[in-house]
Amino acid sequence: MSATHPLIRMEHVGKNFGLFKALHDFNLEVTKGERIVVCGPSGSGKSTMIRCINRLEKHDEGRIFIGDIELTEKLEDLNAVRREVGMVFQSFNLFPHMTILKNLMLAQKLVRKTPKDEAREVAMHYLNRVKIPEQADKYPIQLSGGQQQRVAIARALCMKPEVMLFDEPTSALDPEMINEVLEVMTGLAKDGMTMICVTHEMGFARSVADRVIFMDAGEIIEEATPEIFFGAPRNERTKLFLSQILTH
Amino acid sequence: MDVLTGWWDDFFWGSVVVAQVFLASLVLMVIFGLIGAAAKLSGNRIAHKIANGYTIVFRGTPEILVILLLYFGSAIALTAIAQVFSPEIKFLDVPPFWAGTIAIALIVGSYATETFRGAFLGVKPGSIEAAQALGMNGFQVFFYVRVPEMWRLALPAFGNHMLSLIKDTALISIIGLNETLFVAKQAIATTGAPFIMYIMVGVIYLGFSTVITLTVMTLEYYGTRHMRSAA
Amino acid sequence: MSFDVSLIFSALPKMLMGIGLTFQLLVLSGVLGLALAIVLMLMRVSGKWYLDWLAQAYIYVFRGTPILVQIFIVYYGFPQLEFIREGILWPIFRDPFGCAIVALTLNTGAYVSEILRGGVLGVDHGILEAGEALGLNRRQRFTYLTTPIAARLALPAYGNDVISLLKSTALASTITLADMTGIARSIVAQTYAPYEIFISLAIVYMIITFFIQKLMARIERWLGRYTVRTGQT
Repeated sequence: MSATHPLIRMEHVGKNFGLFKALHDFNLEVTKGERIVVCGPSGSGKSTMIRCINRLEKHDEGRIFIGDIELTEKLEDLNAVRREVGMVFQSFNLFPHMTILKNLMLAQKLVRKTPKDEAREVAMHYLNRVKIPEQADKYPIQLSGGQQQRVAIARALCMKPEVMLFDEPTSALDPEMINEVLEVMTGLAKDGMTMICVTHEMGFARSVADRVIFMDAGEIIEEATPEIFFGAPRNERTKLFLSQILTH
Repeated sequence: MDVLTGWWDDFFWGSVVVAQVFLASLVLMVIFGLIGAAAKLSGNRIAHKIANGYTIVFRGTPEILVILLLYFGSAIALTAIAQVFSPEIKFLDVPPFWAGTIAIALIVGSYATETFRGAFLGVKPGSIEAAQALGMNGFQVFFYVRVPEMWRLALPAFGNHMLSLIKDTALISIIGLNETLFVAKQAIATTGAPFIMYIMVGVIYLGFSTVITLTVMTLEYYGTRHMRSAA
Repeated sequence: MSFDVSLIFSALPKMLMGIGLTFQLLVLSGVLGLALAIVLMLMRVSGKWYLDWLAQAYIYVFRGTPILVQIFIVYYGFPQLEFIREGILWPIFRDPFGCAIVALTLNTGAYVSEILRGGVLGVDHGILEAGEALGLNRRQRFTYLTTPIAARLALPAYGNDVISLLKSTALASTITLADMTGIARSIVAQTYAPYEIFISLAIVYMIITFFIQKLMARIERWLGRYTVRTGQT
């Protein structure tokens, strides 16, 4: 994929839950190395949108492309696509019955068929990257929330994905642990990782994002660079949202 | 199928006996379960130990054994007592209906103890405190807040207890209660068709458990209507 | 009426001779029943409506009828059917032990399958989604994620069912098998001493129950070792 050929393309994507329209005519193009932050009120469809990208939700209208592969019902090797798209969840979702190390090694062995020793090396490398190598043999329950989320990031990185998706990664954390996770994400961004991040952390958006997208009721309301988005938002709803979220 | 002719009304009356045992043991089971739960919830150490003993004994002993023990044991005791008054009495027993009913009520009651205890503890303390803060007295808190919530929490497990009761009724045929299984044995003696007869018994019991299950499902639906959203 | 303690001492060894049969019934039906339960559970979670419906019908019938009736159908009823008498499985159905195993297995299989299904359904969806996001396919998720977690969740209820199975083995005495209960009943028939015999037998069952519970607790602790937060970081 060349530098201008988009890594992810979403064209007129729609998603319904029964009668409820969660996503409507959603369009997005993400090129390699771009950092996108998506924000908006609850129920705006941000999570649904990001979950459509790795097909944890199936879109009802429109088309989604990861590189050259389109996500459809007939897609034979969905897991091949999922290998390239890493995801970090709000509730970490570490495998509770495995040690940290095993958490990081499982998908490598099963999905990428990496031999055990190499998998362990990769795991320790990323564990070092998120700065908690000493936790390798502990169980998730023994770690703090911030540490668990960092492990979750490392677990996704071990698959060496092309793009990382973050679904409100810090929303379930106690305030004092939010920074350690944001630091890791900022470091990733600096190293050139393509990422789409759903979050309320506006400081992170300001310093890291190439583009900020504001969603409401399943649609994109405003899309701009951070300077314009925070400095001179065009849409009234954006201004309202920003005033609510930035004054406490 | 025509081998069943002549036996339909016997099976019917056998089913009536099953229903009678069920209702009688249900009442007793609830009583035993509530007493046991109350004993475990009270601070009283002796009551607690007795209730624990009750649970251990009746959960660890085969049902058939309890029935046999209660029936033959009470018969021996009763006969001995009766012989003191009129020595010509050879055998006096507690009717199998009551020996069996009490036996299965005691057994399932020991499981019900845990169910009621768990349901009682499962009522949110916040609800109780709110009611007390509003000025309701102990009685009112118990009947308007505790009991409805307990009932809702206990219902699924209670449904299972009722199913246990109805199925344990078949065991009482061993001591001569003329419910459906007993009728089947008689029918087989004359017709020599065990398969059909026992399948018939199975169908009758399946009918009973279906009725119980549907009743519980309806009660559960009714009891949780305040928890379902309007959508 | 007197309580004859010496009778207990002479009767107990005879009853304990039946313990071998009791355990054979327990272990054999337990293992076969567990295998059957796994098959039924897989049918119920397979997503294919015909397998699900078939398993549900089976479970409904076997949980809705008394075990004693099921035993009688197999032991007394099956020999009446020609295709059983002339089938290759006849040696099993001719023998009361075989019949008891068949009936107990079919019965416990139904109960345990629902217990296993409860465990499978209890696995946190987020964990399975994380597995999906990493690219694990359905079988891999079921093997490495669902099974270990579900086993731990199902264990308490399974332990209870093992104890139920133990109690059900006593019903084998109704089809002439000489397990502990069978021997006890014949002793009582001779001695007219139900209290001494049945009470001591009950104590034996309670002791076995106690050990089964201790064993289950140990397995629970081992399976749940990752849920213990020993020593913070």
